[in-house]
Amino acid sequence: MILRDAAPPFTREGPCVRSMLGWTLFALFILLVVPTVRYGPRPVTMACAAMLTCLLCELLANLLRTGRFFVTDPSPLVTGMVCVMLMPLNAPLWLPCAAGAFAILIAKAPFGPFGRTPFNPAAAGVAFTALCWPSLVFTYFDPSQPYVLPAFGPCVFREGQSAAAVLKDGLKPDILPLDLLWNPIAGPLASGLALVVAAGGLLLFLSGSAHWEPTAFFLGVTALLAALFPRIACSPLTSVKYELLSGSLLFCAVFMVSNPVCEPRSRTGRCIYGALAGALLMVFRYFGQYEQGAVFAVLAADAVSPLLSAAVEHLRGWEAKAHE
Amino acid sequence: MAGRGVKLEQDKKEILKRGIHELPAPESFAVPSRFPPVKGEPDPKRILRAAEAAGIRSETDGVPLRDLLRSLAEQKTTLLAARCFDDDPFAAGEQAVLRESPEKVADGLALAAQACGAEETLIAAASRAEVRLLSARKIPAAAVAAGNRSPADFFLLQSLRRSGKNAALLGAQACAALSDAVREGKPAVEAVVTVAGNAVSKPGNYRVRIGMPLSLLLEFCGADRRAQFVSVGTALGGHSVLNLNMPVGFSTRCITVLKKPPLRREFACVRCGRCTTACPVGVVPWLVHRELESGPPEPLLLFHVGECIGCRACSAVCPSGIDLAGEVRRAALTKEGGRSV
Ligand code: SF4
Ligand code: SF4
Repeated sequence: MILRDAAPPFTREGPCVRSMLGWTLFALFILLVVPTVRYGPRPVTMACAAMLTCLLCELLANLLRTGRFFVTDPSPLVTGMVCVMLMPLNAPLWLPCAAGAFAILIAKAPFGPFGRTPFNPAAAGVAFTALCWPSLVFTYFDPSQPYVLPAFGPCVFREGQSAAAVLKDGLKPDILPLDLLWNPIAGPLASGLALVVAAGGLLLFLSGSAHWEPTAFFLGVTALLAALFPRIACSPLTSVKYELLSGSLLFCAVFMVSNPVCEPRSRTGRCIYGALAGALLMVFRYFGQYEQGAVFAVLAADAVSPLLSAAVEHLRGWEAKAHE
Repeated sequence: MAGRGVKLEQDKKEILKRGIHELPAPESFAVPSRFPPVKGEPDPKRILRAAEAAGIRSETDGVPLRDLLRSLAEQKTTLLAARCFDDDPFAAGEQAVLRESPEKVADGLALAAQACGAEETLIAAASRAEVRLLSARKIPAAAVAAGNRSPADFFLLQSLRRSGKNAALLGAQACAALSDAVREGKPAVEAVVTVAGNAVSKPGNYRVRIGMPLSLLLEFCGADRRAQFVSVGTALGGHSVLNLNMPVGFSTRCITVLKKPPLRREFACVRCGRCTTACPVGVVPWLVHRELESGPPEPLLLFHVGECIGCRACSAVCPSGIDLAGEVRRAALTKEGGRSV
């Protein structure tokens, strides 16, 4: 026998980084099924283009950093998929690619490999495109028309108004809240898929790939604020339903806020982080210029995350005890 | 705040069903000679003498049983528990010994307790099912199920000590060997070793002569010649072996033979916090990792590291594959000696 050396432990428990990312990617792929069936192959080509861009950017970044051409994990694919999910399907193909390139080259690579990113790279990428090309990011086709969108070329479409945009105008969307769970509605790719997003979230939490606390607190605080301060004249419960199910809120709650890399490590910290992101999101919804504030809320909460971590460490007395 | 340890997936039902296989000693090995058993009622001195004459060593750490019992007596141990669980995904030797001869384990435990002055004894079995098995066989000793989270011995001792007992553990094999030595004058020349892994065709528990080379044992177990990895000891605390001429010892306990080495790729910390939840003594391994990563650590900031018991639960749960236990150990050395790592 030619034996090789290895360091203990020789077994492990729970998910590893690769399986965590693998589950996330799987949950994101599931989200592509319904739009592909409804509108043709465009969601798939968009996803492939964004993932390929992210992968190439990651390779380039690694080449610049280490002189070698390699990828260690599937995180660039996850970033690409998240960027696509937050874009309208009628957007030009280069838009999610631009978001992905910004995410990897500007928001991720300068800080080192996966795990060291202070900001959610996909949130940064989408925020970048929202700031540079708001008309492309916030223009949606009207899904009530039977469309088959072209796989590659530009889309010709009749514009529709998203539920988030109608709420922003202080009006009640002309959709029943229950339609937001499953039916085609104008908005980013992930909107109108609340049930599939929830199933994806369940998958992530059960497989140990994401923390449930930030998501729960994020949703709890947004629901509370929506109930206390409705933007439209309706009952608190209706306001909660519209706010939670419109735009990309639910998608961000499951796939961005629960991302362990940017959260505080302690449970208390994660709960505060989720609550803060939820509160910020509602502030952006009430006072912001854009109908979609979720990515900005995630970025702002990420910025505060190290402070939250330090505060929890301090409150728990870790620093004080360290000096005993 | 202390954590919950780690729950390791167990894979030994089949191995346990097959009992313990006796392996013949190599021909070159001398036939062990017996010594006179203890006559009449055994007293502590005679028990310790028999333990010494038999050459019994603890299977947990290889310490001579006589020395161990003496130190337990010095520590005024009030409760001695037989460790009849293995706290490992593959190792099943302790459990198998209890299943094979529970009377002997109970007798040896009572003798060991007498030798170290412990007033109470307890059989710590692997599960509630094992405890039921013991009561069905009418074993005259109190029994308890050890928890299923690793380090199970630490958690068990902690709970016993919390109830006011000065408790200690002694391996099931050492207990059985002590009974043999005192009652029959039998020397301790064998160990029960679990051989497992995806590169052995006959996994199981084997009773092996101490000193037998691993190569011979692996040949008996049908180890694949193309296997690339052999480890000795538990999955969390063992070490890899590069030379199969290494002899089987009292503390060999488990040999794992794998087709490929369990290599782990290391990623940056993804802040999941699992290491903190796992650490049974309240070390914050990611904090230590962060300190070590950010240059020469400040010894005063290495919080709790001196209390690390080396259980490796933190390394086992880390999704990034970071050698946290190694880092905590290095940090403890730094803190102790004020050295930089
Ligand atoms: S090895 Fe040390 S730091 Fe790691 S879990 Fe065990 S006691 Fe805690
Ligand atoms: S378990 Fe590993 S990845 Fe998770 S917080 Fe601890 S060191 Fe970081």
